[in-house]
Amino acid sequence: MRMNLEDLDQLAARAQRYARYSRSAGGLSSVIGGVLLFASFLANAFAELALPQRIALALTPVLWLLAKELLRAGYYQRDGRALQAPTDKERRNHRLTVAYLAVIAAIVLGVFLYTAVEAGRMPGPGMLGYAVIVAALPLVAWRWFWSVSDFLVGVLLMCQSAVVIGGGNYPAIWLAYVGACAAIAVIYGLREHREYLALRAEFANRTPFQ
Amino acid sequence: MKDSTRSAIDGVLGVDRLVHEPARLAILTVLSQAEHAEFGFLEMACRLSKGNLSSHLSKLEAGGLVTIEKRFVGKRPQTRAAITPVGREALAAYREHLKALINEVPGSTGGETK
Repeated sequence: MRMNLEDLDQLAARAQRYARYSRSAGGLSSVIGGVLLFASFLANAFAELALPQRIALALTPVLWLLAKELLRAGYYQRDGRALQAPTDKERRNHRLTVAYLAVIAAIVLGVFLYTAVEAGRMPGPGMLGYAVIVAALPLVAWRWFWSVSDFLVGVLLMCQSAVVIGGGNYPAIWLAYVGACAAIAVIYGLREHREYLALRAEFANRTPFQ
Repeated sequence: MKDSTRSAIDGVLGVDRLVHEPARLAILTVLSQAEHAEFGFLEMACRLSKGNLSSHLSKLEAGGLVTIEKRFVGKRPQTRAAITPVGREALAAYREHLKALINEVPGSTGGETK
């Protein structure tokens, strides 16, 4: 058996590319996220929503995260998990993202509490749901948001979820921005998926070590 | 024997044999790119049989180059391995060593391990 440093570099690069699908590369889950994002904002902007529909719309982030996990475990990493080791830059960006969202969530919750105390009564179940989703945002970001596409889709889906369960809605003017974010997620996702198919072909064509 | 020849032979003999074995080198290379990797992925990426992979992983673990964690996920056993800082250093040192050896060979274009 013969192996040279170039072979090793290629093997390292393939392993690194595969490991990305444990964290920063969403592939088809980014496509699903993009579609869910646009569809949920569209429904929230134009449809009259009763409580069951509001609950269903509020669950879109859960649906997206479920799709993400199922695709990771059952498709992209079906041969076994290889957990991506983020670079120092990726780790720093991730920490900054989580810290930024934690600060925003703390401010929103602070205002929420202040308003509740001022009013002198317990907020309704819808507003409590709103507070829970806002509080969950930094935790979800810490666990799942490892790429720009995750950040765009995840934050907007969570915000939409919080607002819709609180009884409000995003006006239609948001659709242009949301559409752009959804398009970015879909394009990134399709590209990552194509790269994954190429990676599988490369793994399949390798010669065995023994 | 010429000094240069002696030094070249010493260089070749000085290679870390635990790392030098191709299957172990492949395992360490793959593990160096992830926080940890499951047995199935190592099997696929290195194209080793279960028995070979298990035996090489045990040797690497005994040498302190990798850690192995066995656990159950539901009812399924799961083995995952991670490279240790010592393993990372050994892999880097091995690569440097190999590059230095290659550079000593006139007209060489790339390192090969046999």
